Amino acid sequence: MCLAIPMRITAIDGQLATLATEGLEQRASIALVPDAKVGDYVLVHAGYAISVIDEEEADETYALLAELAEAAAWDDSRDRRGERGGMSVGDGSQEDA
Amino acid sequence: MTRPGDAPSSGGGDGARRSRAAATSPSVSADALRRLADRLSVEAHAALERRGVSALTYMEVCGTHTMAIARFGLRDLLPSGMRLISGPGCPVCVTATADLDKAVALARLPEVTLTTFGDLVRVPASRSSLAAARAAGADVRVVYSARDAVEIAAAEPDRQVVFAGIGFETTAPTVAAALLEAQARGLSNFCVLSMHKTMPLALKALLELGETDITGFILPGHVSVVTGSGCYEFLAREYGVGGAIAGFEAYDVLQALLLLVRQTEPAITIEYGRAVRPEGNVVAQRLMAQVFEPCDADWRGLGVIPGSGLRIRDGFAAFDAERRFTVDAGEPLEPTGCRCGEVLRGVLDPAACGLFGRRCTPEDPIGACMVSSEGACAARYRYRGIDD
Repeated sequence: MCLAIPMRITAIDGQLATLATEGLEQRASIALVPDAKVGDYVLVHAGYAISVIDEEEADETYALLAELAEAAAWDDSRDRRGERGGMSVGDGSQEDA
Repeated sequence: MTRPGDAPSSGGGDGARRSRAAATSPSVSADALRRLADRLSVEAHAALERRGVSALTYMEVCGTHTMAIARFGLRDLLPSGMRLISGPGCPVCVTATADLDKAVALARLPEVTLTTFGDLVRVPASRSSLAAARAAGADVRVVYSARDAVEIAAAEPDRQVVFAGIGFETTAPTVAAALLEAQARGLSNFCVLSMHKTMPLALKALLELGETDITGFILPGHVSVVTGSGCYEFLAREYGVGGAIAGFEAYDVLQALLLLVRQTEPAITIEYGRAVRPEGNVVAQRLMAQVFEPCDADWRGLGVIPGSGLRIRDGFAAFDAERRFTVDAGEPLEPTGCRCGEVLRGVLDPAACGLFGRRCTPEDPIGACMVSSEGACAARYRYRGIDD
């Protein structure tokens, strides 16, 4: 229900934006994000963009992962690569199912 | 900045794809996820000792999180002593039978075209469902957006187009915007049956019941895009329960859990910072408040929660289906043996319901939680073997 998909704005005509993702084009209203510009990534929910994605904040989410990567790098004894398989990983193609 | 695992899962696609992924969601390798799960395990055990408890129970209150947790098999990665449960986060699931009956009764009016989101159509009401009403001749149409319903009203002026609106703060602003668009376009044949609900008071009601010992909440990412984080502060302040606003990738949920176990004092933190600002989407809040006002709402499993619904303000009465049409929906009847209410309060594991997977399946559902793909029962059923 609260599914929202990130898409890039390629054109704006009044309150209607043209958006692109994965080679597809879609239209959505930007009535809820009036400051959105061409080139911005927005989260689209039920035909409306609801948030402009903050690329700097997106980088912040790497901080924790980076911290863990560093911790793992100097702790060779805990190299458990391959011990547990079968983990499916989101490829970022959409924000949720 | 270091981007652990950037290469493995982004797979070296074309430049546009990489930049899109980088902008919207970090690519995370399976190794990075395992490191995250390992770290979570270490810190969860520290948290168990620090708190002097035998279990850490975190509740998600967003159907999309229910789906993500089941789809990624995250329960399998959790450390011992940590439990994830689902709460009242699926809008279709929490819609009361009496409201579904109202939608069915409206759909049966010969002049009405009832439009709504797909999930609602199959949910059993007392004596029928929107799907059954459609099979019997009612004009019921599934739309992707409330805007689509406005377009139908514009294209078919002889029809009375009713949009049956469900959803939380994520969806309500989109319906408000569509209603305002219909007004601006002078469409007199469009109206809304508002069954919208707001999340914070449901969390309060849940904690007041005190049936489940909840250590913290995985808070809904896309509801919070609109509301911001301030509306949850009372959880920490008044109930001593922390929360983390989380995104919907596997690493988002694991990071949110890590932020939660790290809390030495209950607090509300934002894991999903790339989309959620502390103040929320102020434009969306303003549109929602312009069109809707708080009202009492009936939640499946929780009953009537004062002030937790959204009704259409008097100034927009012409767009309110409840004022435009009078229908007799009859007395609501609950399906025998269905325990969706307990599932929605997090006190019953879906698989522990006697109907689960036997008399109640996604193909032939008895309860709402088995209908919506993001219902706790449907998610568990679909990903059985991965998510158990």
